[in-house]
Amino acid sequence: MEEKLLNLKEKLSTELSVATKEADVLNIKSMYVGKKSEIQDILSSLKDMSVDDKRKYGSLINNTKKEMEEMVNKKLEELENKTTVTFDDTLDYDVNIGSLHPITIVAKEVTDILKRMGFTIVSGPEMESDYYNFEALNIPKDHPARDMQDTYYLDNGMLLRTQTSDNQVHAMEKYGAPLRVCAPGRTFRNEDIDACHENTFFQLEGMVIDEGISIGNLMYVMQQVLSEVLKQEVKVRLRPGFFPFTEPSYEMDINCTICGGKGCPTCKNSGWIELIPGGMVHPNVLKAGGIDPEKYNGFAFGIGLTRLAMMKYKISDIRVLNSGDIRYLEQFKIN
Amino acid sequence: MLISCNKLKSHIKNSSDIDFLNIWNIFTIRTAEVEDVRIVGNTFDGVVVAEIKECEDHPDSDHLHILKVDCGDAELIQVVCGAPNVRVGLKTAYVKVGGHIDGMEIKSRPLRGVMSSGMCCSGRELAISDNHDGIMDLPYEWENGRDVKEYLPIEDIIVEIDNKSLTNRPDLWGHYGIAREICAITNHELLPLDIEEIKNDKEDLDIKINDSNLCYRYTGLKIDNIKNNKTPLDMQIFLYYVGMRSISLLVDLTNYLMLELGQPMHAFDSRVVKNIEVGLANDGDTYTTLDGVERKLTSDMLMIKNGDKYFGVAGVMGGLDSEILEDTTSVFLESATFNAGSIRRTAVKLGLRTEASARYEKSLDPNMTDLALLRLVYLLRKENPDMVIASNLTDVYPNKLDVKEILLDKKTLKVYMGLVLTDEQVVTILEALGFKVEVLEDVYKVVVPTNRATKDISIKEDLIEEIARIYGLENIEPTPLKLELSTKEHENVFTEEYQVKKLLADKYDMNEVHSYIWFDTNLLNELNVVKNNVKLLGKETNNILRDDMSFSLLNIVKENFKNYNNFKIFEIGTVIKNNQNNRILSIILADEEKNLEKVYNEAKSIVKYLFKSLKNLDISLTNNINEKDYYDDNLGKIIYVNDNKIGEINVLNRTCTNKLAKKKCVVTIDIDFDKYINISKLDVLAKDVSKYPVVTLDYTIKINDSNYQDLNELLNEFKSKLIKKRELLGVYENKYTIRYILGSDNKTLEQKDIQTFKDRFLIHIENAGLFIEN
Repeated sequence: MEEKLLNLKEKLSTELSVATKEADVLNIKSMYVGKKSEIQDILSSLKDMSVDDKRKYGSLINNTKKEMEEMVNKKLEELENKTTVTFDDTLDYDVNIGSLHPITIVAKEVTDILKRMGFTIVSGPEMESDYYNFEALNIPKDHPARDMQDTYYLDNGMLLRTQTSDNQVHAMEKYGAPLRVCAPGRTFRNEDIDACHENTFFQLEGMVIDEGISIGNLMYVMQQVLSEVLKQEVKVRLRPGFFPFTEPSYEMDINCTICGGKGCPTCKNSGWIELIPGGMVHPNVLKAGGIDPEKYNGFAFGIGLTRLAMMKYKISDIRVLNSGDIRYLEQFKIN
Repeated sequence: MLISCNKLKSHIKNSSDIDFLNIWNIFTIRTAEVEDVRIVGNTFDGVVVAEIKECEDHPDSDHLHILKVDCGDAELIQVVCGAPNVRVGLKTAYVKVGGHIDGMEIKSRPLRGVMSSGMCCSGRELAISDNHDGIMDLPYEWENGRDVKEYLPIEDIIVEIDNKSLTNRPDLWGHYGIAREICAITNHELLPLDIEEIKNDKEDLDIKINDSNLCYRYTGLKIDNIKNNKTPLDMQIFLYYVGMRSISLLVDLTNYLMLELGQPMHAFDSRVVKNIEVGLANDGDTYTTLDGVERKLTSDMLMIKNGDKYFGVAGVMGGLDSEILEDTTSVFLESATFNAGSIRRTAVKLGLRTEASARYEKSLDPNMTDLALLRLVYLLRKENPDMVIASNLTDVYPNKLDVKEILLDKKTLKVYMGLVLTDEQVVTILEALGFKVEVLEDVYKVVVPTNRATKDISIKEDLIEEIARIYGLENIEPTPLKLELSTKEHENVFTEEYQVKKLLADKYDMNEVHSYIWFDTNLLNELNVVKNNVKLLGKETNNILRDDMSFSLLNIVKENFKNYNNFKIFEIGTVIKNNQNNRILSIILADEEKNLEKVYNEAKSIVKYLFKSLKNLDISLTNNINEKDYYDDNLGKIIYVNDNKIGEINVLNRTCTNKLAKKKCVVTIDIDFDKYINISKLDVLAKDVSKYPVVTLDYTIKINDSNYQDLNELLNEFKSKLIKKRELLGVYENKYTIRYILGSDNKTLEQKDIQTFKDRFLIHIENAGLFIEN
């Protein structure tokens, strides 16, 4: 009996080892462990056996049947998990990802930093009135400051804004004090274009109006923005500047990252780049915005976003930014 | 502006304590930006005073001379020299053998057969003047053999200060003002200027100011018997170093005073001066300025007139007829102050920015005209001990500018500085800058000197600036803002723009571009398109502002077709429509002509996705009847959201497309972003999901002579409570496969429910003359 059972198992094993299709295995299954299989017959014959034989073979026969069923099931599982389709799994495809303009990326970064400091983002018009671009900013007609900026005047009496500072009085009028806003945007100056000059470029205006604002507050915000955006050690210097709409006025310069401070066309050979002009808001500007200068004070600053992007990405020719040349722009993948 | 440190030193007590090479880094962060610092006069050595003792013609040359010079040594030295001004007795600058000029060692060598040792030098050869007419003519008192640097201020440090950063500082447009700043920064004492006092016991000059708002003060003086009109060498060197040409003593002195005090002056030959009148020009008159150019005048230009004839453009430039000549011995000196705006306008109109006008535009202190005159008299007297003051110091000064008083409260100062300064610190800083300070309990009463009061200092914040910068900006601690717990978002323009940009780049592989707000003139010409919109003044090309965002991007499209067969770009920018700013999102899909259908349909799906994804809203499209003839007449859609027009899809017509590139197509999308911002997102209200199973039915419907829009409308008309969703599965030729998903929230659908639906649908379709394929 033992030998018989062993033979049965071996025969099953041999047949299973050559079977490759699920259907074949199922046939084998019914032949060896099905209702009409040999093991079933042996099992049926158990009832006719002597008590001794029953005791002797009962569990052996049962175990053998169980083992044989497991063998078949294992084979079935094996076949099921075997991948039947073969393909070249070494193929590698390019993925297409568009690009954002470097200015957009830098503007997002700067506004994100400012947002964490409680600033909200506002925006102003590119075609602007003389009032918001100059008059309200304490720059009366004939002021030499208007000379410093070559303005695009329009035949409808308006102008293209020369600075994002036009947002200052707009924001004060709309939202009042206290105020903590920033405004990225396109600005225009009538300049001849070369590697360092553009007539269309981007700035970001920042403004805080509150009670008890200090020069130290202004410095903190300016420095924080620079160090976070450029993500590198930058040498910074603050020096007195002059803008009619701030008093005192300052210029924050950074060590030119294009030449490392040695002097190049981008920094006009000075080793320094004027990046953030700013200052404490002039009382006349507060008044123009309808805010009481005896109660509130504040600061404002303008970041040259175009310059900042050039510093960050080491772009040496400003003209590529407005070229629309995909070959150049596509490297600025989304981030 | 160029600054000579030798000159600064002459105004500062104990100036040798100051490191004039390195002070400028501090000056930059205290006062104004320094652009360049360079040492001059160190390019030569071994140059001594030498006297020509003998002078003979060179036998083999028509211009060379053989000189024997005494340069302090025991023997005379033979030099061959080509200068025309050689003569026995002339003392000149002589480089000894072994000395250097510009790094070149001077040796003994034969010149046309005659041995020559060393070299006699012109001013230009020593780089201390631009005179190269002959070798230098040194004073006879100077000792032979002494180094010229012992007599002349040749070694100097020249500093270039950025003019732009001095715009608001009229007091810094001369060396004396810069010296005052250096004193305040380094805690030194500023020396007073030497002047000659004049007794006013003679006749007044005839001077008249017509408009005291245009000319604030006119001070004149007549001096006779000026015999020496030769500028001393040290002054010549100074003028040369700071970028001025030396002309004659009288002219040089007026320039010298301008460079010292910042006060422009003018010297007229008094033989031609009758009476002086300051008044406006007549429209259309002409006047020839000192540079020989005939200028057209307008009635807003302020002129100096003499005996009813124009004599000079006030504050800008004098004329030819009053020039100082070689035989001039009597001068009329002008020292005046004019209205800054008037001078600026005149200079700009004439295209004539001079050293004088640049200073007048900054609003000069009228209280220094007399000081400048008396200083000039003092300096002129040194060279002309016998000159005669021939008139009173005539001073026409209708509205005297007085000092100004400002109250600076200590509380405001503390707020701005973020720290408390002692009274002593405040007083020291302000007094060093020329202010007078009275310390009261809560305030400082500050008297502003008139050289700071013309425009720079008028409010307490101006004083805070002075205190902060001299105290040192680097000593102020950067301080974070106090955090506010409630910050309300005012606007979401930037955030929404960024969302859209990111989606287009991320999902649709598009490239963001930046362009100009005006149309490219070349492109308009090329495409033969005429645009009328707001124009830039004073520009002939690229001067029409854009009213169509996508169209303005076509030159970028054209350029990119040179490198790509297909690409997708976008920009959010401003167009000007009806004199108003309008933000527009423009998307341009460019591809080969054969892909037009694919690209056109992609444009529709992009717009649909944009609104669904970012606003949770559906769009609808209607045919566009295009007014712009550069777009295709048949294709083109108007985009509606909530029944409001929000944008357009257009196809550039073939004529224009062919001009950009052959066999291409350009599909444009323009979305009004001002409207987009104002559309609020459709809120999501959660609905329960039915727990009963759904049934899917697919129908393929064949249509002839009509399009999907008709079918869509037909299907929209068919209503049933069972419809959960309907979608277009696919299109093959004119066969459209539609899928219905049917279900109920209350029960599992029975066969008869479905059969009823099928029967009704079949009738609906067949009634429309269509039929369903199997």
